Amino acid sequence: MHWQSALRRFLIPSLLLLALVKLYPLGLSVYLSFFDYYLPEPERRAFIGFGNYGALLSEGRFWASFANTLIIAAAALALEFAVGLAVALGLYRLPVGAARVLTVLIFLPNIVTPVVAGLFLRWMFASQWGLIAMTFALLGLPSVDWLGNPVWAKVTIALADSWQQIPFVVLVLYAGLQALDRDTIEAAVIDGASGWKLLWYVILPALRPVILFVLTIRIMDLFRLFDAIYVLTGGGPGTATETLTFYTYRLAFQFLEIGKGSALGVLTMLVITASIGGLILLLYRRERGAF
Amino acid sequence: MIGVAGERRSRRWALLGLLSAFTLVMLVPVLWGFLTSIKTPVDAFAMPPKLVFTPTFEFHYRLWFKEGFGKSLLDSAVISLAVVGISVPIGTMAAYALSRVRTRATRGILVGLLVMRMLPNMLLAIPYFVMAKDLNLYDTYAAIILVLVATNQPFTIWLMRSFFLEVPTELDEAARIDGANEWQIFLRVALPVVRPGLVVTALFSLLLAYNEFLLALVLTGTNVKPLPVAIASYGAEDLSYWSISAAGAIGIMLPIVLFMTLTQRHMVRGLTSGAVK
Repeated sequence: MHWQSALRRFLIPSLLLLALVKLYPLGLSVYLSFFDYYLPEPERRAFIGFGNYGALLSEGRFWASFANTLIIAAAALALEFAVGLAVALGLYRLPVGAARVLTVLIFLPNIVTPVVAGLFLRWMFASQWGLIAMTFALLGLPSVDWLGNPVWAKVTIALADSWQQIPFVVLVLYAGLQALDRDTIEAAVIDGASGWKLLWYVILPALRPVILFVLTIRIMDLFRLFDAIYVLTGGGPGTATETLTFYTYRLAFQFLEIGKGSALGVLTMLVITASIGGLILLLYRRERGAF
Repeated sequence: MIGVAGERRSRRWALLGLLSAFTLVMLVPVLWGFLTSIKTPVDAFAMPPKLVFTPTFEFHYRLWFKEGFGKSLLDSAVISLAVVGISVPIGTMAAYALSRVRTRATRGILVGLLVMRMLPNMLLAIPYFVMAKDLNLYDTYAAIILVLVATNQPFTIWLMRSFFLEVPTELDEAARIDGANEWQIFLRVALPVVRPGLVVTALFSLLLAYNEFLLALVLTGTNVKPLPVAIASYGAEDLSYWSISAAGAIGIMLPIVLFMTLTQRHMVRGLTSGAVK
């Protein structure tokens, strides 16, 4: 087993870097979360135990940002998955050549720099001068304040994330469909399954690992959604699109409350872990054929 | 029978039409951004929207040569290339070891890497900021490069490991019998086989570093100012800046379009590593 110990040395640079730049900072942020630490006055720094956590859990703004996160994430996730699945199934029924051309084009929004994507969408959603507002005006439709109305601003953020991420969902589900065993599907068709039944009892269960993968990645990323909010609404109007992540940013980098910001970051991490754990339980609980 | 076939064919055309329409809708924001970048403000705010106008590239020129975006492009290039230059070699070495040694510890490391991929950047941004200030690394290349290399490690290791797993271990053993040491086997036997995978990994790492906003926003800003930070700080509210920031948006996007044409065949592998096997 001499060669194995030689190989272990291959791990050293990477693991050393991860320990210094991931694990140590993670520990530091948990540590800082127990302090009252206002950045401009470091000499006032004091250990307060769970004080920051207590303060957060008892303030309305924390719960509002929690609710905003869930609303935006749930809306975006539902839209991305529904449209992504529909488009992937459509592509699956097209000849491979046509499907490939469309996939490449559909994929463009996903690799655009997120900040730039936010700008592109601002020129779509801006009130009065945005393309959507102009189109609505031309068609005589009532004008909608996409970025300035507390409800519509959430919708806009969910739409903005969907614009970038539907392509990802399409691509992964389409790849999953292509990897499916065609014989299984044909056998089911011969047995008389069609349409929704085929989808529900044959295709979706076979895709379960891929669906789990895509939903896990989307949930993780939706909880840390930041760039689009920064560019499109800045968390506003007021705090209408202030998510947990965005509130953390404001606490730490605008209000300079390093300790409280760290505590919120730790809470966010716990929420993400719980959601993904829940998703795995949900998808793997019913091990019968159907979903 | 002919009737059925004809109906099928027309349904297929309808499907193609529908999906093409969807694709077009997805591309509208980019097309609109491009049009905005080559319109004068007068044309950009014409009502109804002007589709016929005299294009101008004045804003593209001003942006890159007069407004300091050239420096930001340089910053972005330095950071992205350094990240790839460090992250891919050390990640590939680790991936090779993790693909060849199979113990409990190996599995532990792989799961640990996934958990790290899950950590929200915002949680780590706070200690990064504090550490960068303490170490006098704030607003330097070093800070943002180190942070992005670490952020990129889990992805690089998992993806490269999936490529190494496809290299038969018989190749290693044959070389070992010939007296090659582990380093030689890695460099001369395994690495050449996974070269296509290496290219994909490098391009995706480049994209990650080039697109990163939050960590760059927190760790840089004056001396160093990568493109996403530069464009986000750019007179967003002021209507007269629309044309010029549209030019920036399109300019930032162009290298990515190039990237996409290069990797289009391998895209799926990079994005779904772990999902479809």
